[in-house]
Amino acid sequence: MPERNIEFGKYGARGIKGHEAVARQLDALAGYIATPITARRGLIARLHYLTRTDHARQAAREAGLTVTDRTLKAWLDGKRSPSKANLERIEQAYRTVRRENVARYLLARLNREGRGTRVEIHPLNQSQVDRPRQRVVEFRTLNVRCWDRIVQAWVAGDDQELDDAWVDQIVDLGSQWGQYEYVTNVGFAA
Amino acid sequence: MTDFEAIDALLARAKQEVAALPPVDERRALREQLNLSRTQVAKALNVSPSTVGGWESGRDPSGDLREKYAYFLQGAQAKLAAAAEDAPAGELADDGTPDAGQKNPVQDVEQDDVDALAAPESCVLCGQPAQFALAGLPQHLDAAECTAASSTAQPPAAPPQPEAAKPQPPAARRTADRTGDVPIVPKGRRAQAASDTPDLIGQAVTAALAQHSGDVEAATAALVKRAIPDAMALLDATRKGGRYDVVAHPWVPDILRKQTAHGADQIWEARPKWTRPHLPAGRHEVTALDINGAYLSALKTHLPIGQLEHSTGNHHDRRRAGVHLITPPVWEHDAVLPNPLGSRDEPGPLWVTEPTLRLLLRLSGPKYGLCDPPEIHESFTSGATENLLEKFRIALKDARDTAIAADDEVTLEYVKAMYSKFVSTMGESNYNRELYRPDWMHIIRSQAFANLWWKAHRAFDEGLLVVRAMGTDELHVIGDWRAVFPEGRGVTEVKIKDVYSIGTDPDHTNNP
Repeated sequence: MPERNIEFGKYGARGIKGHEAVARQLDALAGYIATPITARRGLIARLHYLTRTDHARQAAREAGLTVTDRTLKAWLDGKRSPSKANLERIEQAYRTVRRENVARYLLARLNREGRGTRVEIHPLNQSQVDRPRQRVVEFRTLNVRCWDRIVQAWVAGDDQELDDAWVDQIVDLGSQWGQYEYVTNVGFAA
Repeated sequence: MTDFEAIDALLARAKQEVAALPPVDERRALREQLNLSRTQVAKALNVSPSTVGGWESGRDPSGDLREKYAYFLQGAQAKLAAAAEDAPAGELADDGTPDAGQKNPVQDVEQDDVDALAAPESCVLCGQPAQFALAGLPQHLDAAECTAASSTAQPPAAPPQPEAAKPQPPAARRTADRTGDVPIVPKGRRAQAASDTPDLIGQAVTAALAQHSGDVEAATAALVKRAIPDAMALLDATRKGGRYDVVAHPWVPDILRKQTAHGADQIWEARPKWTRPHLPAGRHEVTALDINGAYLSALKTHLPIGQLEHSTGNHHDRRRAGVHLITPPVWEHDAVLPNPLGSRDEPGPLWVTEPTLRLLLRLSGPKYGLCDPPEIHESFTSGATENLLEKFRIALKDARDTAIAADDEVTLEYVKAMYSKFVSTMGESNYNRELYRPDWMHIIRSQAFANLWWKAHRAFDEGLLVVRAMGTDELHVIGDWRAVFPEGRGVTEVKIKDVYSIGTDPDHTNNP
């Protein structure tokens, strides 16, 4: 697509991809357990979340936590502690399961029965760009009505799909939407 | 039958053009000649504005809605017809009496849609026999006829009581007539009378009281519960046509983020908690004064509009606002005046907000010379304005003043909940997700504390003894404070919280 940036940051502009900012905000709204998994408290909280019900266990297994129930019990009782690789797997499984569980409610709040949510797009940071190369990029707002694809891609952790879904929405900004491919922040409430 | 009452109320509220009217042959023309918006009509009919738009461009409602819409159109026609009748002849047409119904409306009302019926058919509105058909629907052409017809015969469920709402002219019109001048404000591409702008606070209070059938406590509780969304709606309404957008979700530097869920961020708000260490010997009567609506007044402050940008160096730009890392100056007047930084024990640099920094800069200036200037190390600032929340503040202040004058406790509590909760939840709170501005929250609070500091300074300047300055709004003084601060409930006035005495009377101890 011609509107996409080819060599972003060549002249010193800084920012993150719009869809990354969206995923970040969705993560913030999902509200993960704050304590890091490296702390015992954080580990136990995640394991509890993943083993509370049979349904949760099944979801965890599907999300990649393929250890035996015996191991899980040993971890929970503190008789053994997970290896570094397993800690990562637990964290990954926890985030996936949490996203899946939250998605339904988040989606309903974002779509608001078709009224959508107002999204603020804060433009990229040009403070390190030479003055002659700086461009006027304004703060823009946009009402996103249909969040289904975005939330789905976020749940699946599919970056490419999330990017496509997001770009699909921001083309509504008009012909300069390419200026908002990279942003400092995307803000919305749910 | 509240719908019909609502329509009647709507018709009664609608302003008529006294000038001669063109013939009405269209639904839309009817509505527009009554200066009613689609939204108003839709609200009274309990449908969406686009539905009303559809009806005006060819579609037809059916069933219950059709009756209501027909009632509305008929009422509108009658109203316009009455106006047309009044204007040239200057006669008083008595709409309320059944005699008005005896006249042949076809002669008075020259309408294309009105047909005289050979045999009376039952009116679609009230079910009583009617002699005319409007747009093919047999009905009475005036709401008064409906009532008259139904009062003679026993009414089915449908008859409305238009008279209840009709005779009262709208309050807005009355005030406008009395003063002569009508203040107007822009609205979209038109202008409208300032009194016609919806009074969100008043409407909410009226609705809550009506819903709880006058139960003051229940209404207050319900209003306080919805104070946060209502405050946000009021903010949106007051920012219409404003120069700046309210940026609700900017990127926020880490110093403004809470470290843990229940922890604090790194900003020092300079809350005063000061007690004078010594008093002159003798017995003193201390008055604890309470500053009214401290947070409401603090809404007028320099607020950063957009995203905060980082800068370093000992330089303060008056056109920007934000948070600053400063090394505070030494405060040598702790014996008589509180430290403008509040009760900070920890030495070294700290993050303060704009009002605190401005207070320190002002105090270090040639006029006061109370301390050295603070040293600014780095700042997160953005272009600032004092007017961002100004209309919002004025709206709340006016509502508060009116409520105090009318002794209206419900509105008073509601307004108080609105501004205090607005300030306390505008940060990272989950109770208000519409606005994530922890910087504003800190700045507004600091402004309240700075305002209190200036009150303490004023008392000191006028020769009072300042004993304590604490919290947001509490000031303890000794002396004739009434000469300094006016007493009352307005935001510029103070009220007494407590009166107590300290120390022992020297006369008592010396003359046993």
